[in-house]
Amino acid sequence: MSARQAARRRKALLNGIARHGFGMGVALLFLAPLAWSILVSFKRPIEARKPPIPPWPVDGATLDNYAVLNDFGAGIWAHAGNSLTVALGTVIISVIVSLLAGYGFSRFKFPFKNTLFVLIIMSIMVPFQSILTPLFLILSALKLQNSLFGLILVYVTLQLPFSVFMMRNAFDAVPREIEEAARVDGASVWLVLVKVMLPLVFPGVVTVAIFAFLNSWNEFLAALIFMTDQDKYTLPILMTAVASGQFGTINWGAIQSGVTVMMLPCLALFLLLQRYYVRGLTAGAVK
Amino acid sequence: MSMQSETLVKADIELRHVQKSFGSVDVIHGLDLTINGGEFVVFVGPSGCGKSTLLRMIAGLEEVTDGDILIGGRDVTDSDPARRGIAMVFQSYALYPHMSVKDNLAFGLKIAHTPPAEVEARVGAAAEILKINHLLERRPGQLSGGQRQRVAIGRAIVRKPLAFLFDEPLSNLDAELRVSMRIELARLHRELGNTMVYVTHDQIEAMTLADKIVVLRDGRIEQVGTPRQVYEDPDNMFVAGFIGSPRMNFLAARLRDRRTVEVAGASLALAAELGAAPGDIQFGIRPEHLHPGAERPGAIAARVDFSEYLGNTRYLYCVTGSGETVVAEQRDGDDFEPGQPVWLGCEPSQMRLFAKTGERLR
Repeated sequence: MSARQAARRRKALLNGIARHGFGMGVALLFLAPLAWSILVSFKRPIEARKPPIPPWPVDGATLDNYAVLNDFGAGIWAHAGNSLTVALGTVIISVIVSLLAGYGFSRFKFPFKNTLFVLIIMSIMVPFQSILTPLFLILSALKLQNSLFGLILVYVTLQLPFSVFMMRNAFDAVPREIEEAARVDGASVWLVLVKVMLPLVFPGVVTVAIFAFLNSWNEFLAALIFMTDQDKYTLPILMTAVASGQFGTINWGAIQSGVTVMMLPCLALFLLLQRYYVRGLTAGAVK
Repeated sequence: MSMQSETLVKADIELRHVQKSFGSVDVIHGLDLTINGGEFVVFVGPSGCGKSTLLRMIAGLEEVTDGDILIGGRDVTDSDPARRGIAMVFQSYALYPHMSVKDNLAFGLKIAHTPPAEVEARVGAAAEILKINHLLERRPGQLSGGQRQRVAIGRAIVRKPLAFLFDEPLSNLDAELRVSMRIELARLHRELGNTMVYVTHDQIEAMTLADKIVVLRDGRIEQVGTPRQVYEDPDNMFVAGFIGSPRMNFLAARLRDRRTVEVAGASLALAAELGAAPGDIQFGIRPEHLHPGAERPGAIAARVDFSEYLGNTRYLYCVTGSGETVVAEQRDGDDFEPGQPVWLGCEPSQMRLFAKTGERLR
């Protein structure tokens, strides 16, 4: 082995160490708060209130904090169920509506198409807080106040401008000729959408779904205002209710256990679907 | 091939006064054209002449503003693409990227609820014809350009269409592959015997593949004929100039009487008596019919501007006494130096005369 080869190899090694070291440092920075929350949630309630060094339980691990969470209202499972219902409902309706709307805006010709699209996008600029009162009135008129379905409708409304925009772009990126080939092959508009287009815009669908899930799962203000029945609380409201301990103190243990419960589905969803973010399915379609 | 011989249909395609406008812009101006069953017809023309639009109208992907389209004697003007009995091969191949090659081929058949055994048989037969059997499990993204093109053609074959439509199918391939795919397309047409309509701007593809060439310009048909007819007997200056490379030389000329024409100072005798009145005309002659040589009667005097050496032949770019540029092909003899005088002899039978408005004088 020549001296140059050895030098090159050493340089590559140092480069690798530096790169991986930097990556691990950044990853640690991002993972630390998550780890901290999870560790604190297993401390005894009294210990959880003390200064957080060391972050792991010293007096022995316990599930007391989770018990506190479960004793409140209808129980943690019921509230998690509420949140899950709302989040999944929002995801499903947002995906269906934005898929159809995106396809329509991307592929069909109809009067005032661009005006309508701009109107939809413009609604992103309306501050959500400013329409809370009218929304509340509409929901009460429709007898949907205090109902999870009503909350789903509100979330879908808030989610749609972004979703439609996202899906239209996804459809725009699919070459028109692929669709035409399917039409020549005998596929109806619906078949084209389901069998040919859907797999090609799937990364877009996943993006819309993840955003809809995270936003509705974490949403607080609308849920607080529209849900007055304690049994219908979603997790973020439950958290604030649980957080206040006796005499205005904050129950840190309960908060951290709530945070742990709340972030698990988000992490699972993201890990499950993240590869679609990366994958460019249209590769190889044309040229 | 056995697969096709049982059901070989040679459908005529008829366009009757077909018109297309995008808004107020007319792109196709009332075309009439009959394509006989089993013919390989090539639409050729400069970009923007409407050849692709016309093909897409036959396919049903573009609405017809006015007129009728008949395929196999049936009026399909307002039919869905799927109900026209056609198959189309797109310039970009347009394969379904999320499906294997096999599924790409079978997609149309599955939609039509063809029995699985028959799907299998037809896909197998098409793969056999195109020699893509070993690729059936791959995705389009894992194929080379030429292989994708085969799959796209295979997708058309399995449908057993009345007619094949090709929209510039070879223009995304590199030069070498283009030549071999061109030969394969010709072979495919011979084997299948279907009606094929082919759009291209490449005149070599047009000349080599076509039974019949349709030359289009600005949404109008300039000439329909065999490759030999459009090359040797063009109806007008546009066709004469568009077909052939290097293009035909055009020189301002004067018809003195029915048998003599004056071009660039030379007086040339025509091969046959012309049925046109004396006056100013355009004189056309292809580079291979101009013979460079020494001074002699009946030759056009010019000066060599520069020459191109192509191995099998040479092209001389010359300037006539009247300042017009002419290209002449030189196959033998010594090289000409730039600036050297040259006399270009013309074969009377190869002269093509055109009126100033462009149409051919016969």
